[in-house]
Amino acid sequence: MKLGSYEVKLEKKAKVTGWEAATISLLAILIGLALVGLIFRQAGVNPLTGYRAMFSYGFLNEFGLPLTINRSIFILLCTCAFIIPMRAGLWNIGMAGQLYGGALGAFGVALAFGARESQNPTVAPGFLIALMMLGALLGGAVVGAIPGFLKGRFNTNEIVVTMMLNSIVFWLVAYMIKEGGPFMGGGGEGQGFTLSQSIRPPTALGGPFTIPLALGLAGLLYFMFAKATLGYQIKAFGLSPSAAKYAGISPQNVTLLVFILGGAIAGLAGYHYFAAVPGVSKIPLNYGDFGDLSFYGIICGLISMGNPLVAIPFALLFGGLTNGGRFVQGQLQLGYGIDYALLGILMITLVAFQYFYRNTVVWKKMEREQ
Amino acid sequence: MWEFAARSLDAATVFTIAALGELIGQRSGILNVGIEGVMLFGATLGFIVAKNTGDYLLGFVAAIAIGGLIAALHGFLSITLGGDQVVNGMGIWILGFGLTAYIGYSYTGPLGMERLPDVAGLSPFFFLAIGLVILTWWVFSKTSLGLQIRSAGENPSVTEVSGINVTRTRYLSVVVSGMLMGLAGAIYSLDYNPVWSVNFLLGWGFIALALVFFSLWNPFILLGGSILFGTLWQFSLNPQLILPSVLSRYIWRTVPFIITIAVLVLMSTKWFSSRWGAAKPEALGLPRKDE
Amino acid sequence: MPIHLVKHGDTVLEARGITKRFPGVIANDRIDFEIRAGEIHAILGENGAGKTTLMKILFGLLQPDEGGIYVQGEKVTFRSPLDAIDLGVGMVHQNRKLIAAHTVIENIILGHPRAGKIPDLGRTRDEIAELCDRYGFKIDFKAKVWQLSEGEKQAVEILKALYRGARILILDEPTSALAPPETEKLLASIRIMTRDDLALVPFITHKLPVVLNISDRVTVLRRGQVTARLRTREATENSLAKEMVGREVIFRLEHVEVERGRPILHVDNLSALNDKGLPALKGVSFSVHEGEILGIAGVSGNGQQVLAEVLAGLRKAEAGRVLMDGIDITLTGSLQRWKNGMGYIPSDRIDVGSIGDYSLMDNVLMNYHFDGAFSRWGIVDSKKTRKLTEELISEYAIATPGPDSTAKSLSGGNLQKLILARVLSRKPRLIIANLPTQGLDVGATEFVQNKLLEAKRQHAAILLISEDLDEVLSLSDRVAPIYEGEFMGILPVEQAGIEDIGAMMAGLNQPVQSGETR
Repeated sequence: MKLGSYEVKLEKKAKVTGWEAATISLLAILIGLALVGLIFRQAGVNPLTGYRAMFSYGFLNEFGLPLTINRSIFILLCTCAFIIPMRAGLWNIGMAGQLYGGALGAFGVALAFGARESQNPTVAPGFLIALMMLGALLGGAVVGAIPGFLKGRFNTNEIVVTMMLNSIVFWLVAYMIKEGGPFMGGGGEGQGFTLSQSIRPPTALGGPFTIPLALGLAGLLYFMFAKATLGYQIKAFGLSPSAAKYAGISPQNVTLLVFILGGAIAGLAGYHYFAAVPGVSKIPLNYGDFGDLSFYGIICGLISMGNPLVAIPFALLFGGLTNGGRFVQGQLQLGYGIDYALLGILMITLVAFQYFYRNTVVWKKMEREQ
Repeated sequence: MWEFAARSLDAATVFTIAALGELIGQRSGILNVGIEGVMLFGATLGFIVAKNTGDYLLGFVAAIAIGGLIAALHGFLSITLGGDQVVNGMGIWILGFGLTAYIGYSYTGPLGMERLPDVAGLSPFFFLAIGLVILTWWVFSKTSLGLQIRSAGENPSVTEVSGINVTRTRYLSVVVSGMLMGLAGAIYSLDYNPVWSVNFLLGWGFIALALVFFSLWNPFILLGGSILFGTLWQFSLNPQLILPSVLSRYIWRTVPFIITIAVLVLMSTKWFSSRWGAAKPEALGLPRKDE
Repeated sequence: MPIHLVKHGDTVLEARGITKRFPGVIANDRIDFEIRAGEIHAILGENGAGKTTLMKILFGLLQPDEGGIYVQGEKVTFRSPLDAIDLGVGMVHQNRKLIAAHTVIENIILGHPRAGKIPDLGRTRDEIAELCDRYGFKIDFKAKVWQLSEGEKQAVEILKALYRGARILILDEPTSALAPPETEKLLASIRIMTRDDLALVPFITHKLPVVLNISDRVTVLRRGQVTARLRTREATENSLAKEMVGREVIFRLEHVEVERGRPILHVDNLSALNDKGLPALKGVSFSVHEGEILGIAGVSGNGQQVLAEVLAGLRKAEAGRVLMDGIDITLTGSLQRWKNGMGYIPSDRIDVGSIGDYSLMDNVLMNYHFDGAFSRWGIVDSKKTRKLTEELISEYAIATPGPDSTAKSLSGGNLQKLILARVLSRKPRLIIANLPTQGLDVGATEFVQNKLLEAKRQHAAILLISEDLDEVLSLSDRVAPIYEGEFMGILPVEQAGIEDIGAMMAGLNQPVQSGETR
């Protein structure tokens, strides 16, 4: 292809440097945002105005920012849950079901200790909080273990199984919180019971303590993949399952492990939003929306190329965009679901840009004409 | 009881046509895990066009067209750009999921048009589905085109060297597959259950994907599997027909998904998996390697 | 069909001055040769001599930078294999360009211009049957290609080319995957084809006896240039080998004598299935002792791969036992086997033996990640790994910038050296070497063979699986030909004549009458 006096060619790339990847990712996001801008225009709104409003609410507003951060941590945890199996070459799109499982685990523990009936639980609040977190990890891990086990043992397609489990656990939660189910809150509005003040987790620097926890987890994961033997084994399996098997790495074990870890972290995401974030403290009526939000974990995982630390700023960006989007759609009459449109378009743009991770655009000054 | 059976077959119709589309694409070597996304586009656009124009035919045409277009996008990402087909399929699904949630939201609610006529209580599309199944079988087993598509899916380099343009063959298969998926989506939103809501396909696209694997790429087995699943789905909505008041209705809703998982596990048994390995198009989902 | 009626001996295709360059190497350097109707003209050359490039040019997969191809005197350009096929040039590939899942007929008519929208299979079958009768091929048309033997698959490829109207057949290593009896059948069919004035151009690496047996003329390539053009009756094995390599070639390695110790590997009635669920290994029993090399000779696909995988713990055995130094390891996983002192050199160095995107260091770690000295408290000791890698790179003369390069940047020979280095550095008591020199050039092959002999001198027990009969006979102390999953015998190498072993590899228990083929 010729452009002016330069010839533009596409050449296969041997390796992607960090900077190159970052540039491609940012470019992809910008193009994605531009495309969503078309939707703004179609609704009669100037895209720049729309984005300015979104960003200012999401990041600069005193009410919007904490909301953004809470969402971002949720997305970050879902991203980590996606990344671990991703590095092993597996697809975990079951974060939704796993986070529901985590919520069920956490609230199940609370229920077991009488938190539904009375304001004062039967054990020390700190202890109960820790147990609830454990319950969340376990709940998510169990939901995650199913596709992990089935894939490792029977080679069943993990995409279909995780998707099925999303629906299965979704309905299980519905059973639990609606129509007289065990978790049903007072007033019977189809939501779960509310946690009393004493067993809401502590805050750190004004936000729920799950914030530093999630950030620390991301750092830990990064370290694991960079330095630990387990990280080496998971990556090896992801790069070449047959070579990893030859190296003595058990496909069944790796598959099960990554899904258990991923599921547990997603379960923690459920605990984070439903139990830790101030103002929620229950499984809400619209819990399904959070299942949908978990899909941002996929985008974030892809764009950060499986690097948990790089995922942090992207999770923040997506948290702010979705938060701002929801706020702004009412204000500017954009029509409901702009954050869904954002999800869809960003994803496909990112997927398309994967091409540039494999091929470089090479500019060559053309030789003089024959 | 007949009504139950008829509704089961109506559901089976949607499964059949969507899965048939994916079968065609997969036989040419292209894996599309984002069937749900294509179907959502077809269902939503078909619903919108039909509601706005009052004309069912236009709705179906729009659905078929958008289905072909979105699948062509998947084809572009997978064939021309050579990207990972599973990643691309995920992209198509999320694109569909996200975009249709936005586009369709203001149309939430019933279609509000006179129902399409039925044939002896059955949707007319059921017979269309059967016809398509037979047609697909015939094309694949008796025609040169079918041989070309199958060859592209088994071994694209041999096929290319034999004089066939694999890229064109694959694009053709993918677009046809998308058209069928879009049609299936429209049948869902215009005939089976003409009420729009966010994510109203409830994972049927993924069940269709499982069905294709289960069918060993044989259109007739596909039809059988779809009927089974349609029946299962109807049952989960109306468990009282067979097991009155045993469990909460929410628990029953999980049954089709659990069965899908069970079927996938069954497929891993020796009997099934060796046949599956033999029937699988060898180049399915794989990138073209340069010679 | 555009080639006009030719008489026996007419020049049908000529290559003049073919030159092709790749970055850093001239693959083909002003190559000329002539192909005549009714003749078998062999092109001989080692791996890396430029044969593959020349073949691809003749068949239209590559275009030459200079020079051209002339069909019946007229210059032609093959922009793709289709152009070549249209002008009557057909190719029979070494790795069988057929669609395994389809039937014979389907493979033959795929893409055929005369097939039409709805092919008439009956008529095609009759026409193909005629060709089969004529040239002596016996194939079940209804069979799927994956069910056929190597010789039958090759016949299908030949039929496919002939049915498309090929008058010139380029054959890529036609006898390398065939057992001696199938080779005989192929050569017989080829002779009939020459009587029909077809021209055949086999490209061959080392089956020199075949070249001498069948061809009328030979052209030898070395480093991209033609070094000799001979009438076959004027050539000998030695003169050809000398032209190929440029120096006197020693055909057999020095045999290394080592005192045989106790059995390290003992296999008892071992059976296993292949990926299709069919029995691939049917009750083999044997032992390998310290300080000895047991060579398993067989044409690919007779169970060697399955045997290797079962011994390495990568595949489950259906029946039988595997004992290592007296301990039953039949149910033990690979990891434990490596820890117990088994070393496995897999046949697939790219997808199994190494991880392309990992650095050389991380590839070395494949054999060390479970070693407490290299992985403490769950963390990898990178410094130690780096040091080891650097030592191995220097000891094995691996051409690479350093331990941080990726494995995929290594050439085949260097990659194999890395794998060997990594496995042998653990000083395994038992080595299973599966096709260790496959696809390597002469230098790398010699290196690998010498390393195995070195391990033998250090009293390792070695099981060698190879498709190169010469290699097996020159390295092994005992030879076991394998055919359809069974050992046809285990002989000391002194008693193993090449014809006998060849016959056993083909399933014949009786030794072949000597003097028949040479």
